[in-house]
Amino acid sequence: MEWAKDGQEPAFRELVRRYERPVFSLIYRMVRDRTLAEDLAQETFIKVLNGIRSYRPEFKFSSWIFKIANNAAIDHLRRRDLDTLSLDGSPHAQTAEEMQATALQLDGGAESPLDAVTARELGSQIERAIARLRPEYRSCILLRHVEGHSYEEIAQMLDLPLGTVKTYIHRARNELRGYLEGVRD
Amino acid sequence: MNQQHLHPHLTPDEIELWAQGLLGAAGALHLAECRECLVRAEQERTLVRDLAQLPRFGPEFGFIERVMAHVRVPTPSGDFRA
Repeated sequence: MEWAKDGQEPAFRELVRRYERPVFSLIYRMVRDRTLAEDLAQETFIKVLNGIRSYRPEFKFSSWIFKIANNAAIDHLRRRDLDTLSLDGSPHAQTAEEMQATALQLDGGAESPLDAVTARELGSQIERAIARLRPEYRSCILLRHVEGHSYEEIAQMLDLPLGTVKTYIHRARNELRGYLEGVRD
Repeated sequence: MNQQHLHPHLTPDEIELWAQGLLGAAGALHLAECRECLVRAEQERTLVRDLAQLPRFGPEFGFIERVMAHVRVPTPSGDFRA
């Protein structure tokens, strides 16, 4: 870490190597799109490495990088929600043509190779259950039970009070149990 | 007297402690007597185990190079090189 702070390129590469899978996995499970997850993971590492001199060693490096990764994913999901159009088109459309031009294009059924990979990777019951959680719950549950961070670390990463993190995780676990009830072998 | 009357139902925090093998004696005694808590605790443990076993995915080959192409590496003089 100190090497990376001093700007040693091999240390930068080692940091990417060490964190690329956990960071990519978190973002991928948040946005459920491989290409997009790769872009957001890349954005995360560029931000981290270009800003490495602002890293404060009293925090865990993993907390810092996951915080940036999670923010990237959450920001994307918020922007996407703002951009979501109704099936009938934009509420700002003035004419029938504008309505049609802005209407949500439903997929014709053709699945791209990357869609197929995503379906295979995120298609299990538990992955689908995680996807049904609201993003705040999803971040918390992934950071806690997939990445193994403590409640305190998660609170710091997400800028949330500790009690809120605990509540989110408990609710997320309850929801997951509910979604998975009856689908287990 | 039944132990479950001596200790209230386990909280989510206590269930998590139990799953980690860290629950205190009073809670453990309650769990031994209370079927409702035991079922909930077993479900919780299964869920936590399943989450912990989820695979990690990796980005496409060449990810490091794509990142490093945008990173400014500081030189000893304090300048940056792309």
